[in-house]
Amino acid sequence: MADEELEQLLDEERELSLLETLDHVLNRGLVIAGEITIAVADIDLIFVGLNVLVSSVETAHEVLKERQQKETSGE
Amino acid sequence: VTSKFAAGAADLLVAALMNLYVYCLSDEVTAGAVENVVGMAGARPRLVEHAGISAVASEYDDEKIAVTRENVLAHERVVRRVLTETTPLPFRFGTIVGEARLASYLDSQQGRLKAQLERVRGAVEMSVKIIWRPEAKEIEAAGGGDEAVEAGGRGTRFLLGKRRELLGEGTMKERAEGVSAWLGRTVEGLVRESSVSLRPSENLVLAASHLVERSRLADYRAALGRAKTERPELHFLTSGAWPPYSFISVGP
Repeated sequence: MADEELEQLLDEERELSLLETLDHVLNRGLVIAGEITIAVADIDLIFVGLNVLVSSVETAHEVLKERQQKETSGE
Repeated sequence: VTSKFAAGAADLLVAALMNLYVYCLSDEVTAGAVENVVGMAGARPRLVEHAGISAVASEYDDEKIAVTRENVLAHERVVRRVLTETTPLPFRFGTIVGEARLASYLDSQQGRLKAQLERVRGAVEMSVKIIWRPEAKEIEAAGGGDEAVEAGGRGTRFLLGKRRELLGEGTMKERAEGVSAWLGRTVEGLVRESSVSLRPSENLVLAASHLVERSRLADYRAALGRAKTERPELHFLTSGAWPPYSFISVGP
């Protein structure tokens, strides 16, 4: 895997972290009646994002792990 | 002296009329927990105390807020800072309220809020999402392949397609329930409460939130680590510790 490709996957991981945060803060938590001042179109969009991102991020982790193992063994 | 008094009164009036952006509530948080953190729009959070409960809030000079990366992270940054000291009840993103309205809310809901604080005390939320992409041949096995559908007339194609759709959905639902039960056994005895949402749509998606005692986090993480190696066909997305967003039932 090229470094550029790996960098892109790591960017996706950062995006995944933001999606997880959005999933928590937009959809859940205490509500004071009538005091929420935003509109979120469709929370399911976040899950679509998670589906798309999760496998590629796992792949990036596997590649990093393999690289680290090779570096440790001196290959 | 008169002009100083007038200026002071004016400041108090402005403060009374200004909105607050509210992050979370706690009966244990101290002012020191939030003194160096930057909140929404660069404002410094402070504690607003009523009825034995402290709301963490900062001045916010607007009536609306945009869902931007910066704003969402500012909200989470403040709540997360409080989480390092104690477990708060987090507000949903976008809660803007006047100070009098906030005080009225704390007074009227204090019993329920204190019960909620007891419910989550000493614990944090951990999130697990499981995604599974079934092999294409498994979907075909559920109702015949494309060739069978193409061979028939229009009505046959519709019925075969419908059968495949229903059988496929049924299989996915059963598998989602199976994975959910397996996950439940995996974390049994390690979680105080669970909240599981099954989403067996195109990809099997299970979203689980676990309320875990802080002292049991290492055991919980170890159990999930073993679970991942046990089921390599599943994709796991684990995150936490979070404030207990999924374990709050005090609504409007």
